[in-house]
Amino acid sequence: MNRLQRSLKHSLATRVILSTLLLSLSVVTLTGSALYSRLTDGILATSLDSSLAEARYTFFNAEYQLLATQGMSVDDRKIALAEFVVSTSTQGINEERREVIFVKTPGGTPTKNSYEMSSNVIKNSSIPKGLRQQVQKTGKVQYAYGLALYNNGIRIESLFVGQRINIPAGGRYEIYIVFSLKNQTATMDLIKNSLLITGIALVLLIGLITWLVVRQVVRPVREAARIANQFTQGDFAQRMKVVSTDEMATLATSYNEMALSIEQQITRLEHLSRVQQRFVSDVTHELRTPLTTLRMASEVIHNQRDSFDPLIARSSELLVAQLDRFERLLEDLLEVSRFDAEVAVLEPVDFDVITLIKRCANDFDLASNFATPEIQVLSDQEVVTINADIRRVERIMRNLLSNALDHAEGKQIVVRVVATDTEVGIGVRDYGAGLDESALIRVFDRFWRADPSRARVRGGTGLGLSIALEDARLHNGELDAWGRPEQGAHFVLTLPRRAGELINSRPIKATPEDFHQEIFYQ
Amino acid sequence: MTLILVVDDDQDLAEMLGIVLTSSGFDVDLVSRGDEALEVFRNNPPDLVLLDVMLPGIDGIEVCRLIRKESMVPIVMLSAKGETQDIVRGLEAGADDYMQKPFRDKAELIARIRTRLRRTNADVTGLLSIGDITIDVTAHEVRRGTTLIQLTRLEFDLLVALAKDPGRVFTRDALLSEVWGYRQTTDTRLVNVHVQRLRSKVEHDADRPEIVMTVRGVGYKAGGTA
Repeated sequence: MNRLQRSLKHSLATRVILSTLLLSLSVVTLTGSALYSRLTDGILATSLDSSLAEARYTFFNAEYQLLATQGMSVDDRKIALAEFVVSTSTQGINEERREVIFVKTPGGTPTKNSYEMSSNVIKNSSIPKGLRQQVQKTGKVQYAYGLALYNNGIRIESLFVGQRINIPAGGRYEIYIVFSLKNQTATMDLIKNSLLITGIALVLLIGLITWLVVRQVVRPVREAARIANQFTQGDFAQRMKVVSTDEMATLATSYNEMALSIEQQITRLEHLSRVQQRFVSDVTHELRTPLTTLRMASEVIHNQRDSFDPLIARSSELLVAQLDRFERLLEDLLEVSRFDAEVAVLEPVDFDVITLIKRCANDFDLASNFATPEIQVLSDQEVVTINADIRRVERIMRNLLSNALDHAEGKQIVVRVVATDTEVGIGVRDYGAGLDESALIRVFDRFWRADPSRARVRGGTGLGLSIALEDARLHNGELDAWGRPEQGAHFVLTLPRRAGELINSRPIKATPEDFHQEIFYQ
Repeated sequence: MTLILVVDDDQDLAEMLGIVLTSSGFDVDLVSRGDEALEVFRNNPPDLVLLDVMLPGIDGIEVCRLIRKESMVPIVMLSAKGETQDIVRGLEAGADDYMQKPFRDKAELIARIRTRLRRTNADVTGLLSIGDITIDVTAHEVRRGTTLIQLTRLEFDLLVALAKDPGRVFTRDALLSEVWGYRQTTDTRLVNVHVQRLRSKVEHDADRPEIVMTVRGVGYKAGGTA
């Protein structure tokens, strides 16, 4: 049933065929039954006229015979009646049957003798009730159709014709002649069966024809859908076949034109993207070589700064520092361009993420030479082994820690690691200036800064967090940010424990555990 | 004096490298074309080659392959592209190490060069063995039975590092610091590529290693003595 429903919903052919079948079935039923009733009426009408005439003659004959029995003894009259019944009814159970029944009309004066009799063990009770009432009411010949029942269990579709009759010294009786309709019933059955078979055959044929016709229309539609689907999946060379000049051909031609146009657009964009990518790669290469020379030269100068004039010495320091910054910017730009060109690839290895975080934190603690806030690393587990691109995870951690240190205002930074069987969550929490709603939306934007007037203490490139987000997403992971003004910020990295899998939950929520809503309402 | 051959098409960078290396006490030969490098190399064999990837004539990777055919001299590639496939191609062509332009600082360059020139396992002497391989550390020779196996200095150092501590499992980071002299880096491609190259020379079947064993998720260790 469900399959049929699904098929009805999804297949135009099934729907069309089914509705055609239902409609033609009802039309065939209507016309068939109308035809049948017309035919049976006709057959019955012809036999009715002859039967009625015959009945009238028999009734007249019966009345005449009864008149002749006036003055006879009861037994003689019975014999005469019986002779009449036998002579007017057919003998044996053959096809053209005709039975005669005498039955006493109920009511009236009860008599000692009963003249009720019938031919061939037909039951009196088979006379339709309505007919008897009509016969009793009027003096005219009446008829009705019904089943003639025999004592031996045979039932035959028959015409009952009846009339009142007086039996001398016997009271009021009714006489019925029962004409078998066996021949007519057989004819009608034949007609009925023929009509039924013809009807079923007709409906099936209509169904078959519909199926053939629908297939002609649906097949090219299905073919078109298949080709469009393959096109969607990236096979841009797929085209529809144009074999005629009908509406389907028009559709196919328009589709092919569209496909060609899209393919050309894609090729153009791919080419542009390749050119762009090569350009960025070339620019970086071309910039790197002079930058190398510059760095070495600046270092040679910088190493001699003790012998310089203080202004020149300071200038050499600035030169070295700015070359550092320039290099970081170049690396970040190159990384961003790799993400944009979608050529960034994951190189996963197994490693302990706690060791990695501790090493990063340690490097920052060593590197900073003023107002160092302590970076605290908390975890329930001592070792959390994950399968990920260690270079990227390290870069995410360095970016998050560097960002936290920039905004921590000298307060403590807490890194929490929570691992489930399938995910690892790393939360970096600071208690510095924090972020407001509008800042949270833009915090991962390229070159966006929380407060443009703030000094760039650590000299970040402004690309760190957006690269961190791209790195996280490349792992199918996620990087969430939370912040409140003056209550610090919380960045949560969630990664699958095995590269290539998806994350189903967040072991650490973006809203930090130490943040309570009531503080917000004070 | 230690001679270093610098092959780089950027004249200014080559000159700067010359200044830095000379001031650190090395002799320097400068070549700017890939197709000239081999001739200079043959005429005046250096102790170490600094080789740029992008070169006119023939490219650095091809130069590296040609030098490796006739010499086990340490080769350090200089790459400006930093794309993984370039680095891996260079290492597979026989380079011992690579440096990405721009170098973090001059000290790093000098440190890498010194590591490649120095015997890293100076404290080890005599004979070592892994499986059916015998290592004569003093004579700098590796043999299977009587067959001599040709290894580069770096491959030799890698094998000795594993052999001198047979029970120990070395992480890739540990090998990087012991063999390459890196203080901290997470680039383990160097180790992977060189372990593959070493295996192709010392193993009976490089797909089923018996000398340099992989410890899944950790690193490598020396195979048991057969």
